[in-house]
Amino acid sequence: MLQHSLLLIYRNFKRFKTTFFINLVGLSVGLAGALTIYLWVHDEWSFDRYHATTGRLFQVLENQRTAEGIDTKYGTAPLLAEALAEEMPEIEYAAVATPTNFFPGFTLVAQEKNVRANAIYASKDFFRIFSYNLLEGDPGQVLASHAAVVLSQEMAAALFGTAANAVGKTLEWQMVDLKQTVLVTGVFGPIPANSTERFDCVLSFEAFKGIMKMGRSMNWADDGPFGTFVVLREGAKESEFRAKIGGLLQRKLSTNKERALLVQPYANKYLFGEYTNGVPSGGRIEYVKLFSAIAVFILAIACINFMNLATAKASRRLKEIGIKKTLGASRFSLVAHFLAESVLMSFLALLIALVLVELLLPQFNAITGKQLALAFQPHLVAAALGLALLTGLLAGSYPAFYLSGLPPVAVLKGRLVGSLADLWTRKGLVVFQFMLSVLFIVCVWVIQRQIAFVQSKDLGYDRRGVVAFEAAGKAAQQPEAFLAELKRLPGVVNATGFWGAFVNTYDGPGGPMEWQGRESTVHHLGVTYDMLETLGITLKEGRSFSPQFRSDSFQIIVNEALVASFGMKNPVGQVLGGQRIVGVAKDFHHQSLHEKVRPFIFRLEPKAVGTVLVRLAPGREQETIGRLRQFYAAFNPGYTLTHRFLDEDYQAQYASERRVGVLAQYFAALAILVSCLGLFGLTAFTAEKRRKEIGIRKVLGASELSIVYLLSSDLTKLVGAAILLALPVSYVVVKQWLDGFEYRIGLEYWYFLGAGLVALAVAWLTIGTQAWKASRTNPTLCLRDE
Amino acid sequence: MIKIENLEKIYRTEEVQTKALNNVSLTVNEGEFVAIMGPSGCGKSTLLNILGLLDEPDGGNFSFAGTEVAKAAERRRAELRKKHIGFVFQSFNLIEELTVFENVELPLIYLGVGAAERKEKVAKVLEKMQIMHRRNHFPQQLSGGQQQRVAVARAVVNSPSLILADEPTGNLDSSNGNEVMELLTELNEAGTTIIMVTHSEHDARYAHRVIRLLDGQVVLEHAHV
Repeated sequence: MLQHSLLLIYRNFKRFKTTFFINLVGLSVGLAGALTIYLWVHDEWSFDRYHATTGRLFQVLENQRTAEGIDTKYGTAPLLAEALAEEMPEIEYAAVATPTNFFPGFTLVAQEKNVRANAIYASKDFFRIFSYNLLEGDPGQVLASHAAVVLSQEMAAALFGTAANAVGKTLEWQMVDLKQTVLVTGVFGPIPANSTERFDCVLSFEAFKGIMKMGRSMNWADDGPFGTFVVLREGAKESEFRAKIGGLLQRKLSTNKERALLVQPYANKYLFGEYTNGVPSGGRIEYVKLFSAIAVFILAIACINFMNLATAKASRRLKEIGIKKTLGASRFSLVAHFLAESVLMSFLALLIALVLVELLLPQFNAITGKQLALAFQPHLVAAALGLALLTGLLAGSYPAFYLSGLPPVAVLKGRLVGSLADLWTRKGLVVFQFMLSVLFIVCVWVIQRQIAFVQSKDLGYDRRGVVAFEAAGKAAQQPEAFLAELKRLPGVVNATGFWGAFVNTYDGPGGPMEWQGRESTVHHLGVTYDMLETLGITLKEGRSFSPQFRSDSFQIIVNEALVASFGMKNPVGQVLGGQRIVGVAKDFHHQSLHEKVRPFIFRLEPKAVGTVLVRLAPGREQETIGRLRQFYAAFNPGYTLTHRFLDEDYQAQYASERRVGVLAQYFAALAILVSCLGLFGLTAFTAEKRRKEIGIRKVLGASELSIVYLLSSDLTKLVGAAILLALPVSYVVVKQWLDGFEYRIGLEYWYFLGAGLVALAVAWLTIGTQAWKASRTNPTLCLRDE
Repeated sequence: MIKIENLEKIYRTEEVQTKALNNVSLTVNEGEFVAIMGPSGCGKSTLLNILGLLDEPDGGNFSFAGTEVAKAAERRRAELRKKHIGFVFQSFNLIEELTVFENVELPLIYLGVGAAERKEKVAKVLEKMQIMHRRNHFPQQLSGGQQQRVAVARAVVNSPSLILADEPTGNLDSSNGNEVMELLTELNEAGTTIIMVTHSEHDARYAHRVIRLLDGQVVLEHAHV
């Protein structure tokens, strides 16, 4: 029976070549899209899940009530980890670590070599909690001493030539004006690509406590920017732990400040990282969902083609079905035959899809910044086979059950009973396909417009032509002298320095401030002179910082948002948090356009410089950067300058939007391509079915145009209906996406109209060419069969 | 073998109701060769479809080999069809994607006959129909007479007790037509019951008995001698 089925399937493929190729291309493209998305989604899901403690590993977060609502912070007090380990017996290990983007960058010095490194400070059990592949050293001991450092293999090799004998050697780390000699106690292997945290070395948190002169025991009123991680003991109840930790601060603090600790499974940090008003509100998982939906839609479109063409050409296969029924074939055997046909088809498509994925992955990786690869992994094999099987069954289900259920007499006579329902199903499927295509077009359009808006929006400062680099060595220790000499270089318009990050500052330096009974969350940044001038931030009133005013180090410049949020009438001269306001800057967007401009303060701190900003004279950028490099090396022997443009930092904020934009383009193109393939097949089929009618009409004097109209009007109506249905849906979808931006484009009616017209034009082109071809056939050929 | 009583079949469209069969009663005994005749639209094909369990009557009784099948489910009817009935059509109804051999093999596949036995049976029947040399050809490569011989071969390959033939010579020239009628007669002589719908008085003469239908009713029944 199987052999027989395969034979018939093969000959049917041969007989209906066009349909076969449309189905094959459609299903391959659909499967390739779905597989690529599967790879991406699987990679996203795997983030931070490789730690052996996953399931018991949590990060402690803190909810703080502010004037604007509840703020959830990943940063906690420095001694919280220790205190929790003591308070709660269900905790097996607890550790604290500084956030990876906390420091501007370290320099490691050993054997006359200087190497730049991203470093974190972490407490003793850090390597017990996280499986960072420790190659040398005992996980429980490597961070026990305050003078310990654990290096990455790469870093160890860079400093000591080889990672093998690095343990036991000493090195000096320097950061801004700090330094310490430490002993290498361990070496860890490469951090997996699916890790949120990336660093080159880990220093002991004890050393950090010493530098910061922290107290010895926990003060429960403290907070801070530090990450607190805990691992529960085997068998400990997560719900009980959550309840206990949730009420901890309330018990410890008698003050009326509303603060509460909460925990998040560490594996969820990457995908479920957003909190709104104290409760989880998604995060990157939204994109995972979005792309999963896109994968399903594209496959659905391909399946619809298969169903449509199968039922459309059913009349040509009715005889086969009728004969089989007459000969006593059971319904089951017919269903099995059709399903086998579609499943075989989808497995054939899978082979092509795998080739397509292999070809497209480099490009996809370039867009998504991932390193996905087709490899023989059980999950991938299972997914590919499962996907192909499911696609085959889905695509084949409708024709199989529909055709096998027809009564034998009607089938034998080639008469389709109930063809009205069949027709409606087919129409419905075409409408659905084109609805999705229109939706994709609108999304692509709106995303492009919003990204263009983000690019061109006046941010309140001029991000172009500004380079940023980290201050290290002598530049960090004597920032005033360094900046003064820097400004004298030809091609340098202005220069300034600050501590922290300017674009999209992490949520550390922000906190509640009070002014005349009003409270507001305020971000601040310590800067040197010429910050406003270098960045081109406009001063609204008052003055900028100046060395002429000795007292400036106790004074601040605020932004308009701060003035507005406190409702200050005459801000200049007012005292806020013990500091006098000397100037008001016009609002500028230091955070991404997703966020509203928040109240902001510039503090003058001319001696603390982590990052240097230099405005270059336009047109001479490369030449000036060369000069900067020379100057940096001369001022700071042993160090080399690694610079980036401020614009890159700005663009990086919208990396995921840009990715979504580019991917949406590709997937929209896919959706339209596959939909059009279906339409192409349907038109070809209609033309063939109506061959005789076309012949008779032509004999009676019909023009070619009227034949084209005859063949295309029905499908045009369907596409029209699809457009009408798609518009409200797409409006809701893009509106929701745009709502994520505090600053966004307005939704113009012509985005939707344009998308509809594009879909219609593409559809017409597809239908039209087929209809035109049909209209030009010689009528005698059409009628000769008679 | 077949006994029908007061059989009714009504075709309905939105405006009209047509009684295709109106109180038809008849009996066909085992080993008989019966011809059903009548003008176009008299209901003879409808009757044949019901007799072949391809269609359901709207009223009356139908006993097939001793069991009542007028209201039998499609599954049961399919079962009876494949075991007991062979069909020969005017338009041959061969599957175009299958070769002569594969077309004839099909009923055996549905009966679950093993491959070796199938091969043997098909070869035997093709020999008998003198079409063995064409076994690897596709239907469209054969003449009408050859195609009908294949169709007859397919109808008899599983040795059914009943063969239903719907205008078996309608698409054939007279010499090919006679050949097919000879084949049917041979089968009948070997014990197979045959019911044949035909327009041709010439063909009807091969039958033992002729039933004439008009407007869905049996108007005359007479025997040939």
